[in-house]
Amino acid sequence: MSKDITKSTISRRTVLKGITAAAGVAVAPTFIKNLRAADNIKVGIISPLTGAWTVYGKAHISGFELAVDEINAAGGVLGRQLELVVGDSKTEPRIVVEQANRLIRQEKVDFLAGTFSSAERNAAGPVVKSANKILLYPTFYEGQEKEYYPGVCNKNVFMFGPEPTQQVWPHLEYIMKKYGKKFFMIGSDYAWPRVTNLVTKRKLDELGGEVVGEVYIPFGTPQYESVLRDIRKSGADVIFHSLTGSDTVNFRQQFAAAGMKEDFALWTVDDEEVVTTGLGPEVSGGDYVSFDYFMSIKHPNNASFLERFKKKFGADALMNTVGVAMYNAAHMSAKAIEAAGKMDTDSLRDALGGIEFANAPQGPVKMRALDHQIVVPSYLMRVRNDWTSVNDMFEEVQSFEAVEPLDARCDLPL
Amino acid sequence: METIISVLVDATLITLVLALAAFGLAIIYGLIGVINMGHGAMLTLGAYLTWATTTAGVPFILAVIFAALGVAIVGLLLEHIIIRHFYDKPFDTLLLTWAFFLIMTEVIKIVFGTDFRNVPNPLPGAIDFGTIKIPAYRGAIAIFSLLLIGATAFVFYKTNLGIKIRALIQNREVASLLGLNVSRTYKFVFGIGSGIAGLAGGLISPMLSVDPYIGNVYLVRSFFVVIVGGVGQLLGGTLIGSFFIGGAETIFALFSKQVFAQSIVFLLAIVILRYRPAGILKQS
Repeated sequence: MSKDITKSTISRRTVLKGITAAAGVAVAPTFIKNLRAADNIKVGIISPLTGAWTVYGKAHISGFELAVDEINAAGGVLGRQLELVVGDSKTEPRIVVEQANRLIRQEKVDFLAGTFSSAERNAAGPVVKSANKILLYPTFYEGQEKEYYPGVCNKNVFMFGPEPTQQVWPHLEYIMKKYGKKFFMIGSDYAWPRVTNLVTKRKLDELGGEVVGEVYIPFGTPQYESVLRDIRKSGADVIFHSLTGSDTVNFRQQFAAAGMKEDFALWTVDDEEVVTTGLGPEVSGGDYVSFDYFMSIKHPNNASFLERFKKKFGADALMNTVGVAMYNAAHMSAKAIEAAGKMDTDSLRDALGGIEFANAPQGPVKMRALDHQIVVPSYLMRVRNDWTSVNDMFEEVQSFEAVEPLDARCDLPL
Repeated sequence: METIISVLVDATLITLVLALAAFGLAIIYGLIGVINMGHGAMLTLGAYLTWATTTAGVPFILAVIFAALGVAIVGLLLEHIIIRHFYDKPFDTLLLTWAFFLIMTEVIKIVFGTDFRNVPNPLPGAIDFGTIKIPAYRGAIAIFSLLLIGATAFVFYKTNLGIKIRALIQNREVASLLGLNVSRTYKFVFGIGSGIAGLAGGLISPMLSVDPYIGNVYLVRSFFVVIVGGVGQLLGGTLIGSFFIGGAETIFALFSKQVFAQSIVFLLAIVILRYRPAGILKQS
């Protein structure tokens, strides 16, 4: 009986009504969600999550994620939440271009942060220039030379990592006094090591130093016998090292195995916590490293930063200069948007210039309006001989607060 | 004079280390004709297994043996499940082993992570010969490499098993007609080749950074070694090929920049192949 009634009540009209209502209910949540998503400030992150520089990718992205968590927990920016959209660069400049375009055109992000190597940044430069989006770049790099525009000297790119006049120049005198004037430069064969060495040489000349050898190694070179022989014959006092990725590990393991550690001082401007962990104490002990940030620096900001970092990513997670630069980039851009009172490229650019961040893990930092280069501390560390983890890996040799870079070699102001 | 001696020593060391890294490929590609693009991943897996077991406190030598066995088992599985159905189609095996390489690399990343790992050098220090110093571990590896290649050549040329394998290479059909178990012999050779790749990965791990791409630097070089030396020329081919691809580089680096030295070596390899397409040791 009841079956019949049910049957009779389902007319064509009710079915149509039902379908319309169901469709309405189904559409409503996405509609609401879209409205809410439009309310978020979207940030596109380009990180080397796969490929040759995967090892650096983790610290890179987790620095930004931690900052975004903190910003959102404190109520967001202008009452809006920050939303991350991640693109994997696969450590290839070509992919960086694809990802930057995707994030800007399809995901409609408000601004970009990331890219890792100078080659990646140079690939992203033209994209952010033509789309008029800001790129926050975190890595220690070679400094800005007009000839590499728009990868550098680009008014839409902000540099949160140190360049050689901050990372290298402050420590040259100490190293030369202690070990001697003759430098042997070894680096990977691309822009960052070459320009870093060029800039380093200017100060070295000024201080009366001398370059007795300079070699650039193609990526993925497994064996270093001939280079080690050249170093031995050169009569160098100091090896100035800017190899990257696995080449740095290969070279330094073979350098140590050849028994050359006792005859030469080695100073690297590449090997942060992640790489040094890969080297182990026998290979890395006694060598020098300079950066704006180390996990082992004794700044109160750093202690509380690491506590929050480890709470989110685990006690064994590694942080480094690049991850911290991403962390600072997130906080400083949030402050800038807050100060500007709105989110668009021109007001973010104007507000970022001159922004200070007192709680940066390495100590207070400041973004220069003139050339978009950050003012950061500079630390020279020596690797302890018997380190067991990142917590006791580096011993501070000397440090400088708030090191101003030389003005970028661009048409200033940017 | 001092320079000449040290260059010769360096060239010898590089040649023998490269020969070790390429030897597994020389066996698989040279003897059964499988273009094993997975060779790099086998080296990498060997290095990671060595890292994992030494980290667990196992002595280095045992760890390397474990790595060799582990990679041999992986190789045997690969052969049994896939490769054995494609022995007639070398081009298909190229694609299949390339797929193996891609999958293996991702599996390694998932299981072991992407951080740099390091295997402590079991023989630190250098042996001082007055004019030159030889890193102790590198020297030991060079000697081991010679012994390994020598021993394999002995098996290949002087034992019953070697005769079977050579018969198989010369004429598969006739060999099977004469009662030789072709599929079992193929499987054996593939397993040995994989195991030696794993062994090499373990042995080179203290000299290099252990990362998911450690085998890649040796993959292209290994292929050049085998092709320049001559496919199927296990003993002489591997050594001569390694000398041209590895040792020559250190000699060229005397006169030119490192970048040029590497390019000259590969150019030289191409020139050699133009005039001796079947490799230095093989008449075409």
